[in-house]
Amino acid sequence: MEEKQLVRLAQEGSPQAFEELVTKYQPKVFSMALSFTRNREAADDLSQEVFLKAYLALPRFHGRSEFGTWLYRISINHVRDYLRKKGRAKEVPLDDVREISFSDKEQTERAEREKEAEARRTLVQRVVQTLPEKYRVILTLRDIQGLAYEEIGGILRLSPGTVDSRLHRARRMLRGKLVPYLTGEGGAHELS
Amino acid sequence: MNCRKAEKQILRALDGRLDGTAQGVLAKHLEACPACRKAEGDYRSMLALLRNGGEAAPLPRFWERLEPRLREEREIVPLLFWERLSLRTIPVLALLVGLIGGVLFFTPPVREMNQSATLLLENRDPLSETQAFFETDRPETRTMMLMFASLDEKSPARRPIP
Repeated sequence: MEEKQLVRLAQEGSPQAFEELVTKYQPKVFSMALSFTRNREAADDLSQEVFLKAYLALPRFHGRSEFGTWLYRISINHVRDYLRKKGRAKEVPLDDVREISFSDKEQTERAEREKEAEARRTLVQRVVQTLPEKYRVILTLRDIQGLAYEEIGGILRLSPGTVDSRLHRARRMLRGKLVPYLTGEGGAHELS
Repeated sequence: MNCRKAEKQILRALDGRLDGTAQGVLAKHLEACPACRKAEGDYRSMLALLRNGGEAAPLPRFWERLEPRLREEREIVPLLFWERLSLRTIPVLALLVGLIGGVLFFTPPVREMNQSATLLLENRDPLSETQAFFETDRPETRTMMLMFASLDEKSPARRPIP
């Protein structure tokens, strides 16, 4: 069944149609919430709340944008509210981050490599959390979620030019914070 | 190409948004500029770390946990609607009752007119009917006529005083 039809049926009160929409979008909504919270349980709770909000707001969805874009917008706003309430936007102490070492000594051992890769991922995620909200959001949507520029523009209601320039600034800012942990020539620390 | 522009082009290239000609120009610049080469390496590493964020699987039974909450909302929402409606209705009703009460309180009651007033309103002489009684010669007849007239008369004003 087409998505528009599913949406219409859900608006008319069909739980089956809404279930199909939930099944389709739940992994994406969860993944987005997870990339902001880095906590599986919190991301799950947020996803549930997002779908509840969407369900209640469904009569006000007029199909001017894609259902997915509309749902992402609800997700982003809900996650933002959650982070503001929780005060996650505040500084993550970089002292903790510095403790993670990027030792090359034990790269031969697979387990150690995986551990190190995970440590780097954690480091980057934690540094992302220290960025101002608008940069954190756009970076998450593009570089973690992998959404297209047009989609990001639709969700955040930004022009393509603004998406481009904001993303550029966000990446520069992130690199500035990560420079002490990133290697030099050609990205020698690139993950396998 | 300067380094500032090169940095933008590096990010575009890593996004796959740089055409062939621009890529060639960028490659030439990178060959000649160690700082931009380092920047390119940094960005490449950084984006790889972000993009391979280690996907965690969602918790199981998502719909089974969501569905009862939706059902609950379905039940609450109409209730809330009626609650909201009644909350709006209460002041409106109170105002209406107050208005009606005020109108009733301040409107002077309509008094029933007695027969004499009615006759006067109709431009008739209220004494014309009784005149015949007084013109009767015999006092017994006059008394009887007055008695019967007083029985018909509802207004106490027209009753003869004993």
